[in-house]
Amino acid sequence: MQSGQEKAARSRDDIAKAVRELTPAEWIRLRKSAAFWAAERPISAKDLLQEAFARAMDGRVCPADVGIVKFLAQTMRSIASGEGEKIENKLLRVSAGASEAVAQKVLNFRDPAPGAEQQIVSEETVVEIRSAMLALFDDDPTAQVIAEGLMDGIDGEELRALCELDVTAYNSKRRLVRRRIEKAFPKGWLP
Amino acid sequence: MTGGKKEASDALDRLATALVDDVLTTSDAEILAEFREDGGDPDQHAAEMRALFERSVLASNKSRLKAAKAGVARAKASALSSTPVDMTKARELLHGVLKVLPEAQRLTLAARKESELSDSDVVGLLEDLRELGVAFPDDGTDGSN
Repeated sequence: MQSGQEKAARSRDDIAKAVRELTPAEWIRLRKSAAFWAAERPISAKDLLQEAFARAMDGRVCPADVGIVKFLAQTMRSIASGEGEKIENKLLRVSAGASEAVAQKVLNFRDPAPGAEQQIVSEETVVEIRSAMLALFDDDPTAQVIAEGLMDGIDGEELRALCELDVTAYNSKRRLVRRRIEKAFPKGWLP
Repeated sequence: MTGGKKEASDALDRLATALVDDVLTTSDAEILAEFREDGGDPDQHAAEMRALFERSVLASNKSRLKAAKAGVARAKASALSSTPVDMTKARELLHGVLKVLPEAQRLTLAARKESELSDSDVVGLLEDLRELGVAFPDDGTDGSN
């Protein structure tokens, strides 16, 4: 019996069933989410998504009250965050048995020394990416404020108030920010 | 990571978080329209993604099967090593085997009186004899019963 504090979790079969029932729109959301999480890291959106599937199938807990798209998006975020840390530490710590995808990566892994150094993004590059993104909105000061505010971690509601926009207008502007960034950086944010 | 880079990198992470949030809250109609606008075919994309998922499921199943097999092998090995041995039967068996062995071997193996052999000596001798290729009837001391 489940205690009151324990949240019910989806079984492996439930997760698989939910994924198989995703609509085309939900698949696009997943792919786009993967692209954003992978944007600043040396992992492709497809690999990131596949690794999220592998972890979902290998026992990562999915609370029953969390939608499958959100769950997979969070899993990708967690993986991407780990990828970033690995590169920063110049270490590749993976369990070859974690999944087929990981095992394949390990098999294909080249000498880490030169590759990892190439993958480490310099401070200048990161700052340049940030500047290039903000420059996309030179013609739209409100969108630029939103982009900068999102980067600075300003709460959405506060940002909306700062820009003096209603909810609909704010959401529309945020969407414009996303679309411009998507189009300007179709292959991620790394050079 | 230096402070400046960390700060800039964190800023990009926060931006990614906000943009993913926007992706997750965009309506079906809008997200489909965007995808088509970028030249994509939503149905074809969904089929590709499903195939990617099925490959992951297959890989996971293979990995689980491998782990299950290893678990069974471990359990079997553990069961074999812990099967209790009937020492009365084992001593009778050793006695019978020693009687039929050629004299030279019998003298070597039974240098001590059988009654002085400890239980582990008996089991050890039987195992040694098996390793030497001495055939004897199924006795219940090899854990296979």
